[in-house]
Amino acid sequence: MTVLKQLPKGAGRGVAFVVLVLALALAFALAEPRFLTHASLSGIARHMAANGLAALGLTFVVIVRKFDLSIAGVAAFTGMSMGAVIAAGYPLWLAIVVGIMLGAAIGGLSGFAISKAGFPDIVTTIAIGSVCAGMAFLYTGGRSIFQNFFQSGITDLNDARFLGISVSLWFLLLTYGIAWLVMHRTRTGLAFYATGENPTAAHFSGIATRKFIGSAYVICAIFTVLAVLLILAESGNAETNKGANLMMPAYAGVFLGAAIMGGTSVISTFAGILLITMLLDGFSLMGVPYYYSDGVVSLILLLGVIAFSDTIRTWAGGFKLFTSKTKRTGSVSGGQA
Amino acid sequence: MTMIYSTNSFHKDRSRPLAARVAKVTIDLWLAATLVILTLAISSMRPQLLDVSNIAALLKTFSIMVTMVLGLTWVIAAGKIDVSFMQIAALSNMICASLAGYGWGWAILASLGVGLVVGLVNGWLVAFLRLPSLIVTISVAGICASAAAALGKGTVIRIADVGPVGWLLNTTLWGAVPVVAIPVLAVGALAWYMQERLAIGRYIYAMAQNEAAVRGVGVPVGRLTMLLFGLSGLSSAIAGVLLAANLSSGQPMIGGPYLINGLTVVLLGAMMVRIGKPNILGTMTATLFLGVLFSGAALLGLPDYQRQIIQGVLLALGLGVAAVASRHHGANKRGH
Repeated sequence: MTVLKQLPKGAGRGVAFVVLVLALALAFALAEPRFLTHASLSGIARHMAANGLAALGLTFVVIVRKFDLSIAGVAAFTGMSMGAVIAAGYPLWLAIVVGIMLGAAIGGLSGFAISKAGFPDIVTTIAIGSVCAGMAFLYTGGRSIFQNFFQSGITDLNDARFLGISVSLWFLLLTYGIAWLVMHRTRTGLAFYATGENPTAAHFSGIATRKFIGSAYVICAIFTVLAVLLILAESGNAETNKGANLMMPAYAGVFLGAAIMGGTSVISTFAGILLITMLLDGFSLMGVPYYYSDGVVSLILLLGVIAFSDTIRTWAGGFKLFTSKTKRTGSVSGGQA
Repeated sequence: MTMIYSTNSFHKDRSRPLAARVAKVTIDLWLAATLVILTLAISSMRPQLLDVSNIAALLKTFSIMVTMVLGLTWVIAAGKIDVSFMQIAALSNMICASLAGYGWGWAILASLGVGLVVGLVNGWLVAFLRLPSLIVTISVAGICASAAAALGKGTVIRIADVGPVGWLLNTTLWGAVPVVAIPVLAVGALAWYMQERLAIGRYIYAMAQNEAAVRGVGVPVGRLTMLLFGLSGLSSAIAGVLLAANLSSGQPMIGGPYLINGLTVVLLGAMMVRIGKPNILGTMTATLFLGVLFSGAALLGLPDYQRQIIQGVLLALGLGVAAVASRHHGANKRGH
């Protein structure tokens, strides 16, 4: 035990996570040999890029102890908007700029309503998500948009590679790196955490808590736009249901990661989304029917949150690996409504 | 902390002058007044709205919707959230459809039993493992949706004979009132009585304000939470059975649209009678309001997505009124 004590805090959890990933990879490789082929692994990398971006945005909202249920609606509307800009013959960069601006505006609206006007977060984001999901039909009445997609170069985002790894994964690693620096090495990141832990204390410490809550929603919406951009690039068209499959993996990634790592952070989200994407892709490779995938993700999320909840960990109190006394352990179960 | 709805404090003051009491009644019942105005406005453009057959159809969807959200109203009133109710309905809908061939009694029993158990599990996880209600119910919703789709291998299950439940839905009194509306209204009245006159109603609203204080005075908050989630599961399961008979089939994807519909009626309903607090009478009025609005929109030829936008805006509007009202009362100072 003396050797264990000299390891940095959370090392046990890190080891547990790596063991979990390796065990999962081994199980899938045994059940379906194609799992470890290049095509399958690069598919996982691409799907992880889209899921990971949405989950990273959600991480900011969860860190300030709020929820955002507008992810699917925002993804549908901004995805169709970007598709419409591309179909009208404008260049790709303009479509991305338009998408990000729209996302920032919607996120700003949610953030303003929740932080400044005092609207309740869950229902407000459901309402805004519903309006956005309806507005996604404005351009074509629900038909798919695919004109100009190949000429615009959007599919290169999916196909291009750098050092043998797809560009979208590099982009994901870059954004996670930046987010990690901001959240865990600057005062800004500390202010986000302080806002979530205790808004009153944060307020009296001179932190503009409302500004941080509002900007968490803006960041979440912008990352959702980037995630749906990668989905459009992969499929080569824009449809109104493109964002529907972003929400559950994002929630599962954030909360499963937080449960394993003992707190919400950029790294925990990365860990969670890696596990969830491996599971989803592994199951679809094994030919599990599509309607099971959401259920499996939900079940794993639920089991993860239960297994690592405070109550269960108190019951299993003797087991040192999972009872670290770090400050942020409460955040999974602490966001009680 | 996560708020489900804005809270405020209000006092019943019987010594106020008549004018003030009239003003209070006006504020309390503005949604009902809007409902009357909306009905008149739409029926002046499309008289078919008030046709006997259209009223019967309206009341049928009203009954199903009210059943669906009866339990949800109290869950939200107690400061929790349940986003699994529509998928519990979908699961019960599919169970009912797959067992209807073996006799409706068993089908109903199994559907309602599963709904109740899923609701109780939700409540247990929230109350005794202290997990956030959104995370619990979002996962349970995913599991129920998957189970519902798996029952029919991803497709619809047809029902040959809609049985006694079909009789409830399709028989009308005087051509305008489906039989099912009568028990639904009776249950609504009973729930209103429980909420307004019995101790349980006080506890529900007190839980939203300060759960620790309610626990401190000796109320078994954990068991009450389980009961509320159980009721929500049971009532949405009943709605699932009604839907199975109404559509003569089990539809695995039926849950989706009811999430936003259900939350809209509960929170729009919270804009009347007990301003800022979900309540049964408000939920029923709002359900009728939404029914008339949608029926009118269909008669006027608005496409589906425009209705969705209108509904989202309505929900946001209701939230806005609640936020302004609670600020006006000055009781919503949490978190800042």
